[in-house]
Amino acid sequence: MKAVIMTEKLSKWYGNILGLSDVTLDIEAGITGLLGPNGAGKSTFLKLVTGQIKANIGSVRINGEEVRNNHRLFSKIGFCPESDSFYEEMTGWEFVTGLLKLHGLSSSEREKKALKALGIVDLEKNKDRRIKTYSRGMRQRLKFAQAIAHEPEILILDEPLNGLDPLGRRKLIRLIKSLRDEGKTVIVSSHVLPEIEAMTNDIILIHQGKIFAQGDIHYIRDLIDAHPHMISVKCSDPRKVASRFIKEDFILNIDFSSEKDTFVVKTNNRDEFFSRLPRIFIEENIDVKEITSPDDNLQAVFDYLIGE
Amino acid sequence: MPIKEKGYTHWEGELKKSRYPWIPITRKGIKLAFKKKFFKFTFFLTLIPAIVYLAGIYISERLEDFAFLVENSKSVSFLKINPGYFNSYFTQDFLLFMIVVVLVFCGAGLISDDLRYNSLQLYFSRPITKKDYFLGKASVIAFFLFILTLIPGIIFMLMKIIFSGNLRFISDYPWLILSVIGYSFFITGFFAFYTLFVSSVNKNRRYVSILMFGIFIFSDILYGIFKGIFESEYFSLLSIKANIKQVGAAFFGQKLPHNVPWIYSFLVLLFICALAGFVLNKKVRGVEVAQ
Repeated sequence: MKAVIMTEKLSKWYGNILGLSDVTLDIEAGITGLLGPNGAGKSTFLKLVTGQIKANIGSVRINGEEVRNNHRLFSKIGFCPESDSFYEEMTGWEFVTGLLKLHGLSSSEREKKALKALGIVDLEKNKDRRIKTYSRGMRQRLKFAQAIAHEPEILILDEPLNGLDPLGRRKLIRLIKSLRDEGKTVIVSSHVLPEIEAMTNDIILIHQGKIFAQGDIHYIRDLIDAHPHMISVKCSDPRKVASRFIKEDFILNIDFSSEKDTFVVKTNNRDEFFSRLPRIFIEENIDVKEITSPDDNLQAVFDYLIGE
Repeated sequence: MPIKEKGYTHWEGELKKSRYPWIPITRKGIKLAFKKKFFKFTFFLTLIPAIVYLAGIYISERLEDFAFLVENSKSVSFLKINPGYFNSYFTQDFLLFMIVVVLVFCGAGLISDDLRYNSLQLYFSRPITKKDYFLGKASVIAFFLFILTLIPGIIFMLMKIIFSGNLRFISDYPWLILSVIGYSFFITGFFAFYTLFVSSVNKNRRYVSILMFGIFIFSDILYGIFKGIFESEYFSLLSIKANIKQVGAAFFGQKLPHNVPWIYSFLVLLFICALAGFVLNKKVRGVEVAQ
């Protein structure tokens, strides 16, 4: 299938800081997840794709047309930025219709499209409230509404699920999927793996301005599973719990150095560890305070992948 | 079935760019200005000199009816409607001061609010260029300044013709209309650059307002101090107000208020515009750049 977005040797520096380096990608219709830790270059990539910044080297093409300075092309792109971009004194309605004006739409078209977009994100009833009175989730949905209001072919969503409650997340994910089914091309960036996993299998891993991997999410999952996991357990008697695991083959290391009531286990079989843990707590009558996975974040995944 | 398996996309939108994409930006800016507290009152105050000068034109044609008002020679010479009369309207201290006040209301937030609310990325991800953006913002300033300069200037001329009932004024000063238009555009252009420049240096509108006012007043104070010490008229080049008056006098063919070639003042103002343009181009971009 023909790629909708094509980048070639795309590189961007901010002074001495590398934003993006030698990125050559083909992005097809459907949802593509752009995954990377904070500061990886996701926003830079998205802003290059939306033509907002100029690449030092390389080019971005949408349906074969160069993006930079091709402002006509921007009517097919919907951009939802990561940070809030609101005039707080405006109402949601004024915000969406105001931005639609920049597309040169007639007044009736603007009203129709704004109503539709606000309806899609469930903000119809609150459209006449000032944005400053909106909750975090409502603001996030409003940002999304302005991105889809002009019915673009390509949607660029920079961390769209930030600040949403679980229900809001689920709704937005469903909505993004429905846009995919309508034939749109959607790029969603996030630093949270499960968020991307919930939307798509196609991901691009970006780290330190470079594309680390591109393809199916299961490939990444396998890479992650091939590395030991760290699990931190905070409880009333960490030594007693740890002693029950000490002889197990799947335990590689137990560390008591962090806090008095905490031990950190390194295991290559996380499922087995978690299946046994509750029974030990019950048998030994241990109070559990906290179980966390210190390396269950994307930065740690990248650290594993790049062998740090 | 996901679209990837269908193997096509079916976007039905239209690739287009509005012919005048800056107009919505201008409209919004004008609307926002009128929503501000006290703006309408301030703007009305700024129009008072125009009303007074218009009344002056009327009186000048009916001197016998208003003899009680025109008792001394100073009043009589003031009421001679000639390029000097226009120059005195356009370069009077009160008008220049009030223009800055109006700009504080309508211009301080033009870019600083966009920076504060991160709106630039929303503008520039739409079919508008940086040029459209600046044009839209500058047109807000032009709208208000033309009401204070170009429009009164043209009305003065029309009224003079109507009140006098002949075209002698035009035949006496055929170039005056060009002076009015040229000066109005020049002063509007200068203040547009000045306002947008100051508005782009900070995200805080209050700070921008103080700066906008401060630079204008402080430049004049600086001129006063240096002139007091060194007694040289050349220090008038430090004052925005003095430079505007110099250029205004040159436009209307009047005696220069300072003993300095007007072209120097013109170049100083032009330099400020060039500097402002350079800074604006650097400051206004669709992304926050990592430092």
